[in-house]
Amino acid sequence: MPRPYNDAELIAVLLSREVRNDEISACGAQSMIPAAALLLAWATHAPDAEVMILASPFTPFPTSRQFHYLAQRGDLGLFFVSGVQIDRRGNYNLHLLGDDHERPEVRFPGGYGGGMIYYAARRTVLFRTEHTLRTFVERVDFISAAGQTPPDVLRRGHPTKVVTPIATLAFDKDAGLLRLASVHPPHSLAEVVERTGFDLGAHPAAEATAEPSEAELEVLRGEVRARMIETGTYPEWARTHLGAAA
Amino acid sequence: MGVPYVPVLGLLGSDLLKGRKDMQVLPDPFDPAHKTVVVKALRPEVALFHGLKADRAGNVHFGYESDNVILAEASRRVLVTVEEVVDALSEEERARTFLPGILVDAVADARFGAHPAGCPDAYPVDDEHMAWYAAQSLDDAAFADYLRQTVFEAPTHDAYVQRFVPEGWGQSGQRPLQVAGS
Repeated sequence: MPRPYNDAELIAVLLSREVRNDEISACGAQSMIPAAALLLAWATHAPDAEVMILASPFTPFPTSRQFHYLAQRGDLGLFFVSGVQIDRRGNYNLHLLGDDHERPEVRFPGGYGGGMIYYAARRTVLFRTEHTLRTFVERVDFISAAGQTPPDVLRRGHPTKVVTPIATLAFDKDAGLLRLASVHPPHSLAEVVERTGFDLGAHPAAEATAEPSEAELEVLRGEVRARMIETGTYPEWARTHLGAAA
Repeated sequence: MGVPYVPVLGLLGSDLLKGRKDMQVLPDPFDPAHKTVVVKALRPEVALFHGLKADRAGNVHFGYESDNVILAEASRRVLVTVEEVVDALSEEERARTFLPGILVDAVADARFGAHPAGCPDAYPVDDEHMAWYAAQSLDDAAFADYLRQTVFEAPTHDAYVQRFVPEGWGQSGQRPLQVAGS
C-alpha cells in the first residue's frame, strides 16, 4: 500500500522535528523542503524558534554576508542542506561530477558558503530526495564541505543526520561516519542497504522511523502550504507538492 | 576593508582549497593551538552594477540591499548602469540601498539594463528568455547562436531592448521579484 503522503511531505516532517524552540534554524536558497519544514516547526512544536529562509520574506538580513557572519559567530543552531552526492564520512558534494576536477563531466553551481557553514552551524541536517547508489557513495567526487575535521582546527558544529525518502542516517561524530538510524516504513532494511553505496553499519534490528502524524500532515498541507503561497515562498512548489498524491 | 587577507572559519578538509594559491592555512597568532584558513583579498580591476537610479554626482540607488557596496569598495573602478538618471537622488533614495558617488567612476543610462535578469522594484526576471538562454547554453554551437542574436546582431542597447524586452515590461501586474540573501 502506498504511503498516505509523498516524499517531499515525509522529508519536510522529519526535518521539522529537528528544529528546536530555543535556537536559530536556517536553510539556503532553492531549499523548498527545508523551507516547509521550518514553517511547519513554527506552526507546531517550535513557535518561538528563530527561523531563516534565505532569499524569501523569512530572512532578517538584506545581505547574505550578515547570515554568514551570524553562522561564524556560532549563533546558528541548525542548518539544512542537500548535496548531489553524500558519502560515508559525511562529506557532501555540490560542485561537480567526474574524477578530473579541471574537466568535470557535470558542473553545478557550488556551495556558496557551505564549506564554512558546515563547521559553523551547531548542527547540520542533510537531506536528499533520491536515495540511490549514485547519490550515496563511498567517496564524493568533490568535497564541497567536509564531515571530518583536521586536527587543531576550530569547529563549532557537525553534521548530525541525513534524511532521505527511505531512511534516516545518523552521523557518528567520534567515528566520523554515517550510520543507519532508522528505516521509513514500508521500506526494508535490505532495500536501504542495497540502495546505499557504502557500509551503513546496519543492524538487523534497525528501528522504523516514526511516520508523519495526521496532525503534522494537516498543518503542512493547510497552514504551511497557505503561508508559502501567500508570502511568495516557493508558491509553485507548495501548490504542486504539499497535499499532492504520493 | 583594505586589508591583505581575512581569516575564514571552516573550509578545511574540503576540495575548495586544492590548487588555490589565494587560500592558505595559518596558525591563529592569538591562539597558536588552532589553525585557520586565510583568504587573500580580492581587488577587482572593474566592478559592474545595474541600479534603479543614479544622480549627476554618481550616487546610485539600488532597489534592494545587497553586497554591492562591499564589492564597489574593493574594486579599482566602478561602472554603473541604471534605469534612470536624475539630477539628485531624494533623501529616501540616499538613505537605503545606496552606493555613494565617491565610489563610482561612471554611470550610464540603460533602461532595462538588467534584462533578462530582473531589476527589483522595476521588473521581474524574464523567465521565458531565461529558459531560452538555458536551452541555448547546452552546447557551444547553440550558445554561439544565442550570442549572435542577442549580442553581435544587437550592437546597441536600444537594439537589444527593441528586439528582446517584451512590450510593456515592468508595468503593473507582474509579480514582484524576490531578492535579499542568497
